[in-house]
Amino acid sequence: MTNTSNRILTAGVLGLALLVGGTTAWAHHEIAAKFDVSKSTTLTGVVTDVDWRNPHVHVFMNVTTNRQALNWAVELESPSLLEMDGWSRDSLRPGDKVTVKGPRARDNSRQVWGGNDFRFVNTGLPVFPEKPKLPRNSSVSRPAPLWPDGHPALGALPGTSDGFWSDPDKTGLVEDGVTARMSEFGLLANLADAAKVAPMQPWALGLYQNRQNRQLRDDPMYVNCKPPGGPRMYQSRLGVQLIEDRERKRVFVLMGSGNHNYRIIYLDGRKQVGLQGGDDDNPLYFGRSVGNWEGKTLVVDTKDFNEDFWFTNGGLPHTDQLHLIERFTRTDFDTLRYEVTVDDPGAYTRKWSASWTLKWDGGGTLPSHFCQNNRQ
Amino acid sequence: MKMPRSLTKLSFVVLALALAVSIPAQEGHPLKGSWIGVWEGNTVLGNDILMILGWDGKAVTGTINPGTDNIKVENATLDPAGWKVHLEGDAKDKAGKSTRYVIDGAIQQLEMANRSITGTWKAGAAKGKFEVHRQ
Repeated sequence: MTNTSNRILTAGVLGLALLVGGTTAWAHHEIAAKFDVSKSTTLTGVVTDVDWRNPHVHVFMNVTTNRQALNWAVELESPSLLEMDGWSRDSLRPGDKVTVKGPRARDNSRQVWGGNDFRFVNTGLPVFPEKPKLPRNSSVSRPAPLWPDGHPALGALPGTSDGFWSDPDKTGLVEDGVTARMSEFGLLANLADAAKVAPMQPWALGLYQNRQNRQLRDDPMYVNCKPPGGPRMYQSRLGVQLIEDRERKRVFVLMGSGNHNYRIIYLDGRKQVGLQGGDDDNPLYFGRSVGNWEGKTLVVDTKDFNEDFWFTNGGLPHTDQLHLIERFTRTDFDTLRYEVTVDDPGAYTRKWSASWTLKWDGGGTLPSHFCQNNRQ
Repeated sequence: MKMPRSLTKLSFVVLALALAVSIPAQEGHPLKGSWIGVWEGNTVLGNDILMILGWDGKAVTGTINPGTDNIKVENATLDPAGWKVHLEGDAKDKAGKSTRYVIDGAIQQLEMANRSITGTWKAGAAKGKFEVHRQ
């Protein structure tokens, strides 16, 4: 066998090894799982390529140091998240001279996390101007749209502009009244806060700390494309859309996150014996949800969850005893208040509650983010 | 084209790695599930065991099954500090004599669905290695 053949075979075998070993690492991830946020690097160079694909966009650039040009990879969010922020595949082109500041890869490879601090060298202007935030606590409040029976519309009324709910003011589930800083993905800024987040049983706290210590790299929503069941779906930047099928007395909750999943809430008085006939012994990712209106608030009772997913960003544990009471209140045209009471005697020492608001993205289209596209 | 022996070995290693890739998933109580493995050197009940454990919110419940007779799990504990596991149960030998079995071990690879418990078992003067893997 020739040396060339040897090299080809070796490359093939090592390529397979990388593929096997890197399966998890290539999935979408919490930033700190791959990058050391305590070590920031500034790079200035010329863009050589833009790889606009899931799970993460990569910008490649040549950086010259001591007369030697080396190619670096700058990792960014997924295309769907970047597009929500106003970026496009044409925002950067080969030949653009840019500077970027961000944390370097933990394995010391030539990779940095790009974040938003990406600027053109010539002008100093950001490559991706930050999209204006949706108004929160606007001084000009519009009343919530109402159906003829007086119930607030949870989505758009027929004949009006479509929209969805996004921009939650909390992206991690924390008991009301508790302060615990965490990243968008639920990674605690201070692990010592773990016990404050919710009244966990000792095993649940240990498991939560383990997940946090591992920088959430085992999150089944990213690793295995498991759905974001429970309150998690309302804490994603990718948002949710509530579709009221009033004729059949049910509400569809369409998710921008996860795998573009949907959930059904029944308002027709049925019992929680299965979303479809015959699945009583098959607990679900979204449980079995029934709801009714209490004044201007839709109250939803859900139980019979399975244990095969994380019901929060950050990995708070749950068991199949999880029982949720959720309250949806459209307090004005642009604001949806979401409240959840968690009752899971398998994992927590008592019931506890959390609440937050989402903003109406009028005219917006729910992002089409498919987790399966994040697996390569 | 014949592959050199070193590359053949490397290929097998990679293939073995591919087959052995752990399933990253850890949801619910860490002891809940079906476990299959051995308590080595058990001349009374045999080496192979199947264990089914549950969690009712207050206690670990379940059975250890070395054959056809299930041993009810008692006094089971899980200590998150080191994920130490303690299990007890009474088993009868062929003569009908009851013996208390005590298992002490620790969960390995907690974050994996196919995690394991490794440690020791004791029954009177008999003892040996204990190892089960979650299915």
